[in-house]
Amino acid sequence: MSSIHLFGLASQHNNWLSTRQTLLAGNIANINTPAYKALDLQPFDAVLESTKLQMTVSEQGHMAPDLTAATAATSDAEGELGWEVFHSGSNVSVEQELIKAGEVNRAYSLNTNVVKAFHRMLLASSKTGA
Amino acid sequence: MLDPLQLASKIAASGLEAQSNRMRVVSENLANHESTGKTPGSNPYTRKTISFDTRLDDMLGVNLVKVDRIGIDKTPYPMDFAPSHPAADANGYVKHPNVNMLVELADMREANRSYEANLQVIKQARELISMTIDMLRAS
Repeated sequence: MSSIHLFGLASQHNNWLSTRQTLLAGNIANINTPAYKALDLQPFDAVLESTKLQMTVSEQGHMAPDLTAATAATSDAEGELGWEVFHSGSNVSVEQELIKAGEVNRAYSLNTNVVKAFHRMLLASSKTGA
Repeated sequence: MLDPLQLASKIAASGLEAQSNRMRVVSENLANHESTGKTPGSNPYTRKTISFDTRLDDMLGVNLVKVDRIGIDKTPYPMDFAPSHPAADANGYVKHPNVNMLVELADMREANRSYEANLQVIKQARELISMTIDMLRAS
């Protein structure tokens, strides 16, 4: 079972998606707030990359870990610009935010369904094994 | 600390409240768009404006939206020559409210649109929660 990270990965991804939904809700609620800047999360793969275990040099003959790859992943995703900037200085676009919310919905549904299918599979194998 | 999805609903609810306050201000302006003063030379109804601000909620740890302040529009009142009007000044001019019907209606539409967007967020958060609960269901 330890080699199957699926359940952990799915719940991590769902956690990330829920947090993203919270941010999108904040953006949409502040849609008419002057000078509000839209927020978004780092992509999930970047988060995974940045939280993995790092190799370190413990012996003379070891190769040094590649640090440039790790620093590239930690830069925030704020660079992505909004579709429009309003006269009040806010850059929240309803359409963009709702598209992102749709993406979140789709990914979440995919995760829960994959977990369900996997669970069914495990149940089936444990039933036949007994 | 609440679940992020519940937080999403809470944030959207603060957005709904802000937009409905905006709607109230719009309706106030529209209802009074002909309210002149009562005594000669007095000022008529002054258009109100509303502005929002994002505020960090200490208990929830997220940015909610709040009504910043309800101000007044300082544009000059349009004058109209009507000597028989009770609010007419010495020269026979009456000050009318500085409410522009078109601007108010456009504002109302925008409030409507933002309200709908917030409702959509609540709906989606609920969908995500029910998807999670559905995993419990025996298949």
